[in-house]
Amino acid sequence: MESGQTEPKKGFFQRMQDWVRTHPRMAAIYGILFLLLIVSFLVPVDPPHVAISGEPIFSNGPQWLTNSVLGTIFVDIVLIGLAFLGTRKMTFVPGGLQNFFEMVLEYMYSLSESVAGKNARKFFPYVMTIFFFIIIANWSGLIPGVGSIGINQYHDEHATQEMDTSANADLGSAQLAMVGGDLILVQPRSADAAPAAAEENAPHFVPFYRAPSADLNVTFALALVTMIMVQVFGVQALGVRYFKKFFVWRGDGIGMKLINGFVGLLELISEFSRLVAFGFRLFGNIFAGEIVLATMAFLIAFLLPIPFYILEVFVGFIQALVFMMLALVFFSMATISHEAEHH
Amino acid sequence: MDELGISGGHLISQIINFVLLMVILRLVLYEPVLKMLDQRKERIAQSMKDAERASAAAQEAEQEKAKILEGARREAQEIRAQATRDAEKAAQEVRSRAEADAQEIRIKAQSDAEKQAGIALADANKQIADLAILATEKVLGRELSNKSEQERFVAEFLAQQNGGA
Repeated sequence: MESGQTEPKKGFFQRMQDWVRTHPRMAAIYGILFLLLIVSFLVPVDPPHVAISGEPIFSNGPQWLTNSVLGTIFVDIVLIGLAFLGTRKMTFVPGGLQNFFEMVLEYMYSLSESVAGKNARKFFPYVMTIFFFIIIANWSGLIPGVGSIGINQYHDEHATQEMDTSANADLGSAQLAMVGGDLILVQPRSADAAPAAAEENAPHFVPFYRAPSADLNVTFALALVTMIMVQVFGVQALGVRYFKKFFVWRGDGIGMKLINGFVGLLELISEFSRLVAFGFRLFGNIFAGEIVLATMAFLIAFLLPIPFYILEVFVGFIQALVFMMLALVFFSMATISHEAEHH
Repeated sequence: MDELGISGGHLISQIINFVLLMVILRLVLYEPVLKMLDQRKERIAQSMKDAERASAAAQEAEQEKAKILEGARREAQEIRAQATRDAEKAAQEVRSRAEADAQEIRIKAQSDAEKQAGIALADANKQIADLAILATEKVLGRELSNKSEQERFVAEFLAQQNGGA
């Protein structure tokens, strides 16, 4: 081929034109993405709505009806509905939803059997419900529109949580700031004025739906039930002897007695630290995930949030699994007698 | 606590919600599904056992079949041998009877032939005697008076000749 030698070197645009001609579909996709990127810089996006706790949906309605209560009800309906659909017509040769539930339950049951042994049957309903509830709660927060559909409330005597949602703020230099339990978006130069701005009669946006696991009431309710059940299962398995591990007065000489007593005290403290860790671990992960997503969507509305969404799907699953596994481990630890180690 | 949004009412309602959810899911989901899983496990174990039994039975049947086939083959062999023996015996019989018949026929034929030959010889002798007498009469030119004596004489002579020969 002589043409390869005689042909003059192609310019950049020439080569690009050739490429577009040979790959029209890819070129269209890249073009759309590029356009989206441009648009996302031109069109202002509202700053993320950040509230650390659930807020009442109707400022002059019932105060108990917060968006996280609505979320909890939604998760309940989804779970019970799926369970009904899945087990309505049980067949010996499973199909569809029944097959899915059987697969999940069998996997989880063998998992809990490997941890708890013969107690698995007793612990299973509890840990399985934890897993289902948390994973649906976590993932429900990722549904598009969850944090962005809501109503604007105007400041009145009921409103306790406020935030500055002025869309015309200089978004590029906005920062998150903590104001009286609320995370709000403020500009550096008006940081001092932000608390004052929060008191102003500005519209206050409240989303209808909030992921239940991004509410401390929910996570602490789960943590409380878990730690109470740990004590219950411990007493069931060991009787009153279960409490002996907290109040130890044993050993040779006063020194050993004191050390063992201190260890028992540590056990008692660790029960409470587990409670707090349970509650904040789940809340922190999911709440932080929501803020990350909102912030990314705020910075660049397109493309940028996608990897974070994938990450959050993963985090939602992992947190559900972690809560479940820890509960399972604490349950089985509570059923093991400590005396066996000494005698 | 208040700043974190934790309130007693919400906390308690969430606890109640969770316990209720657990009870409902246990009734609706876990128990039926686990029961179904157990049933299926049982069924599979049962069918495995059945399959094992069936395969054992099949093996037994196979052995039985081989045994029956072997027996049948042996029997067939025996029948064949018996048939061969019978056929040989029958053939022997037929052959011996044929031989006997042939022998008989041969003997009969021989005796017939001998008889025929005797008759022919006697006939010939008689004719020869007659011819001899006739010739003698011709030669002597006269009739032998004592014809009967003459005939006797010739017969005697022929007998002598026969005996001498």
